[in-house]
Amino acid sequence: MDSVITKSKNVTLLEILDRVLDKGVVISGDIVISVADVDLIYLGLKVLLSSVETMERLRDGPLVGPMQEST
Amino acid sequence: MQQQLVYLYCVTEEEPKLKEVESLVDDLYSVYHKGLYGVAGKVEDSEFGEQNLKKNLADLEWIKAKASTHEKTIEGVMEDTCVIPFKFGTLFNTDGGLKAMLEVYEKEFKAILEKLENKQEWGLKIYCDMEKLKAGITNRETEILEIENEISSSSVGKAYFLKKKKAELIEQVVNEKINQYGRESFELLKELSSAARINRLLPREVTEREEDMILNSAFLVGNDNVHDFVGLADSLKTRHEDAGLLVDCTGPWPPYNFCGLPKQREHNG
Repeated sequence: MDSVITKSKNVTLLEILDRVLDKGVVISGDIVISVADVDLIYLGLKVLLSSVETMERLRDGPLVGPMQEST
Repeated sequence: MQQQLVYLYCVTEEEPKLKEVESLVDDLYSVYHKGLYGVAGKVEDSEFGEQNLKKNLADLEWIKAKASTHEKTIEGVMEDTCVIPFKFGTLFNTDGGLKAMLEVYEKEFKAILEKLENKQEWGLKIYCDMEKLKAGITNRETEILEIENEISSSSVGKAYFLKKKKAELIEQVVNEKINQYGRESFELLKELSSAARINRLLPREVTEREEDMILNSAFLVGNDNVHDFVGLADSLKTRHEDAGLLVDCTGPWPPYNFCGLPKQREHNG
């Protein structure tokens, strides 16, 4: 892929967290742990994460279709 | 021996070149199935397993380090080929689990990759220095000036209510201006993009900035349009600077905002 313009400088951690924790493909299936709704909560000036309630074990099977281990 | 888990970073259709990215992650490898590559790394159950993950997710330094690794790894792969970035913490027990997932989503992933080909994600956040914006408004809006004149020639009681009215009016104009700047910037950049979306605003506690965030948006831009897009973002930066608006354009990013599965909502432009 041609990168027409190089990465802009000084990308803050905020920019990374805003994407990595909040966006990207979320799938369901034979996932050991899906940090499904990792959210940014705010404690003072520090960004902390809470996943205790949102973390789910999705062992009961996929939501989309049948899945078999193909090991 | 500690149990290991499979941490998925991204999915590609072309074979990913992992040599240069490998330095970031131990044991970075790819799992091939149904014409797709899952770029993954082995992580320790003691770190990412359910019990310990809860604890680690409360540790800001741990998150910072892991989120950066996640991002840099995907960026490394992205330099050579189109990627579907996965969310932080997508884990499987085994490579078999990852393959099974690729099997289920084969068609969707290939369709998404086709859509993303030769395009880049760019981000635009706008912050507002409220005091500066308010000061500018106070000097400009005639209605506000009229109230000010009235205040100076009013009794104490009347002046109190007029001052309150003035504050409300300024607040209203500020909101109008913010919406106008935000919407205008978004619409202009959207015209140069193949897709665009508006994300939720982040509060100051998260941004650690003195200014308020007034727009958080993402754009999927064709490679041919990137030059114009960045040029336009730069011009927006200088256009609104004096009014107290700070435009922050970043990219190219892995297409986190534009790789939604059909079920996930997306605002296509």
